[in-house]
Amino acid sequence: MKITVKLIGPFIQVFGFSEKALDVPEGTTADELIGLVSIDRSRPKIITRNGRAVVPDEALAEGDRVVISPIYSGG
Amino acid sequence: MNGWTGQILRVNLTTKTFKIEAFSEEFALKWIGGRGFAVKILYDELAPGIDPLGPDNKFIVALGPIAGIPAPNTGKAVVAGKSPSTGGYGDGNLGTRVAEQLRKAGYDLLIVEGKAASPAMLYIEDDKVEFLPADAVWGKGTYETNDWIYAAYGKGVGVLNIGQAGENLVRYAVVRSLEGRAGGRTGMGAVMGSKLLKAIVVKGTKPIPQADPAGMKKVGYDDLREVNRIDKKTGWSIQSTNGVLAWCNEVAALPVRNFRKTHHPDAWKVDGERLNNARVATYGCPNCTMRCGITIHDDEGRESELDYENVALLGPNLEIFDLAQMGSLNYLCDDYGIDTMSAGCVLSFYADAIDHGAAAGDYGFNDPKGSKRLLGEIARRSSGIGDILAEGSMRAAHKFGRNSIDYAMQVKGLEVAAYNCKFIPGMALAFGVSPIGAHHKESWVITFELKQSVRESYGPEKAQKVVDLQRIRGGLFEFIVACRFPWIENGWSLENYPKYFKLVSGLDWTLDDFWTVSDRIYSLIKLFWLREYPGTDRKADYPPAVWFDPANVDTEGPIAGKHLEFDKYDGLLQHYYDIRGYDKRGIPTKATLARLGTAAEGRAAEKYGKLT
Repeated sequence: MKITVKLIGPFIQVFGFSEKALDVPEGTTADELIGLVSIDRSRPKIITRNGRAVVPDEALAEGDRVVISPIYSGG
Repeated sequence: MNGWTGQILRVNLTTKTFKIEAFSEEFALKWIGGRGFAVKILYDELAPGIDPLGPDNKFIVALGPIAGIPAPNTGKAVVAGKSPSTGGYGDGNLGTRVAEQLRKAGYDLLIVEGKAASPAMLYIEDDKVEFLPADAVWGKGTYETNDWIYAAYGKGVGVLNIGQAGENLVRYAVVRSLEGRAGGRTGMGAVMGSKLLKAIVVKGTKPIPQADPAGMKKVGYDDLREVNRIDKKTGWSIQSTNGVLAWCNEVAALPVRNFRKTHHPDAWKVDGERLNNARVATYGCPNCTMRCGITIHDDEGRESELDYENVALLGPNLEIFDLAQMGSLNYLCDDYGIDTMSAGCVLSFYADAIDHGAAAGDYGFNDPKGSKRLLGEIARRSSGIGDILAEGSMRAAHKFGRNSIDYAMQVKGLEVAAYNCKFIPGMALAFGVSPIGAHHKESWVITFELKQSVRESYGPEKAQKVVDLQRIRGGLFEFIVACRFPWIENGWSLENYPKYFKLVSGLDWTLDDFWTVSDRIYSLIKLFWLREYPGTDRKADYPPAVWFDPANVDTEGPIAGKHLEFDKYDGLLQHYYDIRGYDKRGIPTKATLARLGTAAEGRAAEKYGKLT
């Protein structure tokens, strides 16, 4: 299935891309996606799927937009 | 008394006199510094009901025990007075060399009273105070004023100054310092302007009393290096605060079109990635090793320093998606000495009011040229509409009528910062209960709401989180006087602050001890409010009505069809009051005041308003 992954803030420089389309196996979870795009698992982060926060074992679906962001604290 | 200079410099502009006063150890330990000192002095010395723009108001610069000492991000000062925008206690903090220089001159507090007979500048050097004319720069912007001062005194002095907005009593005029940025969006620039005080220049040569100066020096410099190392690892300052813009857009929390919309397909054009690409230079406050001030060239080729709040509110909120155009508005705000956040909200409110038939005018969204013109008219009060908008969105709405107050994006008279809470209950609460109006510096809970709770919840966990963050952000960092960014953006442990406090004061305090001081300070800000507004009730803690309006919901995106629900918000507010020990009006109870050591201040308030 096709999904879009977008990184936010310094993750762009640290992990080397801003946004990319990916073809991932059906049933891929948010946590598995982190491994697929080589994001450091130890980095504090918040993952949203179509604008809503996800839990790590949540399965993704065709057409999802997944955003991986540092945990901002609002300046 | 290690940790404090123990002295107040009290200056009277009317009589051109000054006094150096000692303060007690009891005062220091109870209020610590910064915001704590400022609210206690203003509460004790201002008669309720005075005009915040009259000579009876006082302008305060307040520092804390670690202010100005080399350690992570201590180059900050609190400016305070009765707020022209809210009528309650008002303050703000800004990066400035005044933090270090005023303490080296021998003072933790500067209190400015009265009103000068003609435009004036204060020059403070240790025990010497000079009352100097400022006619040469009256009517000039903050950049030219700052340069004029540096030309006379060199760049090593500490400077606070105001632009045309402060001179013309714009109710959201700020105090500026080119050694940092701006502070006091509650109208502290107008308080200076009302006293005809154009600038304060400070130079100090004495050591700051410390229990273990050698230890503090070693720890301070080691920690400055460590914060820099962490920042390089996290990459936070690559985009600085504007990194959050793209995220707000994704989760439908971005202010667009006077907060009517929560996201926009063109938002990426002004996000942190684009800002970093357009970077001309980077600036930081004194004692900062994770500098956040990114400048770009604006559409007139000037260097304009941007952060998230001003990008969001002068950009997408006005439907301007061009960094150079938006940068130009930001430059003008900085030069006039207008708060960028309130300016963005006031302009968007005016455009919205025209859209809804409540106001007339040749202005609208996506109008950078009109926005520039209006900012000039506001700063100088040089037109009828400029004069109205200089009063802020709440007062302008009262003038416009037609229910426009419902979409004036403010709480208590202070415009909201750049988080669209159309469907973020906890953050709406944070704006609602911020004791100085809708400022983001007190509490910021959005990521907690999405990650540790659920967006739909109005549960006590969100009220507790707002209290926890207020204790840290609105308490600790405002009374010890340091920048919160090492902690919030790069995870610098809060346990470092009792450590620094011990090195300077010799006192072994815990974070819990600090939280008691935070709560005490909040209780006094609330008593100040009660004294000014004896009939106050919980409505003062409600966010803008438009966030509750079913007709204002998003029609697509992550929160399509959603809006805040009034009854549930009121329940969340009650959770907050219960945790704080406040009554149903949002005022601390007598039992709470007794617990926090502010019972005597409570008794003083009872002459004006009832306590329960």
